[in-house]
Amino acid sequence: MFKLDHKLLLSAVTIATIFTTSGFASSNIVSKPDISGGVQYPIVGNRTHIYMVNPNAYGLKLNHGRPATKNEIKAWNKDVMPDGTGLPEGNGSVEDGEELYESQCVMCHGDFGSGGAGYPALSKGNAVELQKTLTNNRWKDPEADGPVRVFGSYWPQASTLFWYIKDAMPHTKSKTLSDDETYALVAYILNINEMEIDGEEVDDEYVLNREKFLKIKMPNIDGFVPNIDGPNGLENVREFYKKPKNYGAIKVKKSKRCMKDCQDSSAKIARVQGAGISDFHPPMNITRDLPEIKEDSVHKTSFDAKKAYETSCTMCHGAIAPEAKDKAAWTPYLEKGIDKVYANGISGTNKGMPALGGSSLSEDEFKKVVDYMIKD
Amino acid sequence: MTKINHDNNEVLVSKSRRDFFKKTSVLSAVAATGVLAPVTVSADDNAIMHHPKWGQSWGDPVTKNLYGIPSAYEHNNTRRYTKLLASGNYRASIAVSPIHESEGIITPNGLFFSRSHGGTAHIDPNEFRLMIGGLVDKPIVLTLDQLKRYPSVTRIHFIECPANGGQEWRRPQYNSLQFAKGFMSCAEWTGVYIKTILEDLGLSSKAKWMLAEGSDNSEMGRSIPIDKILDDAMIVWGQNGEALRPEQGYPARLLLPGWEGNLCVKWLKRLDFAAEPWYAKEETSKYTALKPDGKAIQHFYANEVNSTVVSPSPEKPWRDLKDGDMIEIEGLAWSGMGTITTVDLSFDGGKNYVEANLKGLVLPKCWTRWSYIHKYKKGQKLLLTSRAMDDAGFIQPTIDQEVSVMGVESVYHRNAIETWEVTENGEVNHVQIRS
Repeated sequence: MFKLDHKLLLSAVTIATIFTTSGFASSNIVSKPDISGGVQYPIVGNRTHIYMVNPNAYGLKLNHGRPATKNEIKAWNKDVMPDGTGLPEGNGSVEDGEELYESQCVMCHGDFGSGGAGYPALSKGNAVELQKTLTNNRWKDPEADGPVRVFGSYWPQASTLFWYIKDAMPHTKSKTLSDDETYALVAYILNINEMEIDGEEVDDEYVLNREKFLKIKMPNIDGFVPNIDGPNGLENVREFYKKPKNYGAIKVKKSKRCMKDCQDSSAKIARVQGAGISDFHPPMNITRDLPEIKEDSVHKTSFDAKKAYETSCTMCHGAIAPEAKDKAAWTPYLEKGIDKVYANGISGTNKGMPALGGSSLSEDEFKKVVDYMIKD
Repeated sequence: MTKINHDNNEVLVSKSRRDFFKKTSVLSAVAATGVLAPVTVSADDNAIMHHPKWGQSWGDPVTKNLYGIPSAYEHNNTRRYTKLLASGNYRASIAVSPIHESEGIITPNGLFFSRSHGGTAHIDPNEFRLMIGGLVDKPIVLTLDQLKRYPSVTRIHFIECPANGGQEWRRPQYNSLQFAKGFMSCAEWTGVYIKTILEDLGLSSKAKWMLAEGSDNSEMGRSIPIDKILDDAMIVWGQNGEALRPEQGYPARLLLPGWEGNLCVKWLKRLDFAAEPWYAKEETSKYTALKPDGKAIQHFYANEVNSTVVSPSPEKPWRDLKDGDMIEIEGLAWSGMGTITTVDLSFDGGKNYVEANLKGLVLPKCWTRWSYIHKYKKGQKLLLTSRAMDDAGFIQPTIDQEVSVMGVESVYHRNAIETWEVTENGEVNHVQIRS
């Protein structure tokens, strides 16, 4: 471990503004604490940090764009907040939800929301019981049970589930479920998480509606810090990040950082086990070579000799060299046979023809272009 | 192990050389009889002693590749993906950036890491609309042209997925820099401060939060505190001098300098202001950091101070160094909390440190290059560990320090110091020094 003298750690920054002199001559960089625990660089005069700004560009009324219409706002304002803002009227049963789930969701989320093939699980059993696993931490024992973070055990608000299903599910055709269908799926997911609403078990007969939805209390509603709700929400965030210890961070003055004998003797070297995670695509490789070109049938048949001619050849052919399809012009070249024409073209000639016409065509492609130019 | 197969590379090199001679038979015949006749025992370099093909024939006309592409020889410098990081399929997934090949502090647009929650959307810019509403006097709709009419700002910032390194809380798992640290990239972005647009709209004093929502298949959304919106939050349309790539949210995305990549919502569609946060899926079920007491940190914004050694790396070992070579150890440092002030380098896994030099531009919430000149001793084993500090006062924790607070289940925001082991023959392996 570091031997940091904790008394010397900077406490949360209480000074409103810190002036630091940077390595840039004559620039005083102004910074002050921001809400995240870091610093921000307010615009002072014509600069922020070392960036220059145009001070005349701020505080303007520009009136770009146009007012949004009521219908437009309604069309896009689909978010659902924990207090029910945005939650539509409607209802859906566990039974209907199960049917929908079996037809549109099970292929990814697995039987009864158990997950699979990398897709997220929606339930691992009783939500209240599994919420207790959130203190599980696999410090040393890789075989130990980790925390279960699924909808029932972890999510603080049910509104998130309704909103997300309505906006983003099913993944391959999102925004196709009706409000009633969404209620039904939410009811089914509550059911497989063995949850209750207002003391009543969400059993196979349960029918969910807006009123009941607003009574859902998630088991882990108090499981998150800082508390972001209410008028003090932002202040709570600010206070939380003022204390580095809350999130495993460390502050120290540069002159007080450890430079010698900083490590506890119990620290050992931990290595990647076996190959670790190494199924990288494409495989890791740092050589500088030419990629392999796959000669697939699509590539071959799609070669367009006319297009290649127009792209690569016409700057000369038709100007200082014979044009394609000009039989009379090509006749003398064909006296020694087409193979000689191919060979001259591929290697280039001392009469001005560059090798392969200066193109990046393969030899086969080049021959096709020659065929196009000379043959009918 | 993600070992670079150099034997295989040898095969590839000699194969391409054979192909080369086959293709330039005329030339090689000349070379073989004329220039390359064996005159001395110490071989002359063929690359010098013969005329290369490209020097004796036409190059491409300017009409070719009117939008330029990298040399074909650079095809291995590419994003990569692995099935482990796919939530079922490669739409809700990530392709990571080859930072072992990175130069300077700018990631080329084609190599910028790519993460989406419903696949890369391809948006018709003519049908792009940005709606800004909620607790404002005047809700508006902007077309792309109207958005670009605001006075613009250009800034260089990294964007980092907060799960960068998140698979390695319990032990190292990737013997690769690209996968251990490549969930990030850095670019020059051009766009408009949201506060500039808000001048037109009349933001209510009740507005504490902003929802940013994408128009992609997942309708990705996040709640953002008004503090950031009124500070340096931007809507950007330019990336390294051209339009955003589709993978980066073409035609417009949110950019919150230094904060989680996930917050920088792509394919932007709607900004909504309200008094309370929304509890979107990606700020509850994911992007929350579970601690050992069972409580999870939500709304974890800034990516903390971090660094890595880039050269050498598992991908770029020191196998060919000679005893006594003076070699530059180079790396990246970055902090979403502020500006890098210091990078220290350890040769013994974090017991003792020396201060490295920063080089190039040192900008806020931006990749920063650092450098240390080292005299290589053949056969010497090293444990190279870098440790960065920022002007918010933070220093990277040791693994033990970070784990003692966060446990090993929090997935996100892991920024402890990381170590490369240099073996006696110059191989480089990813290791962790921990109790």
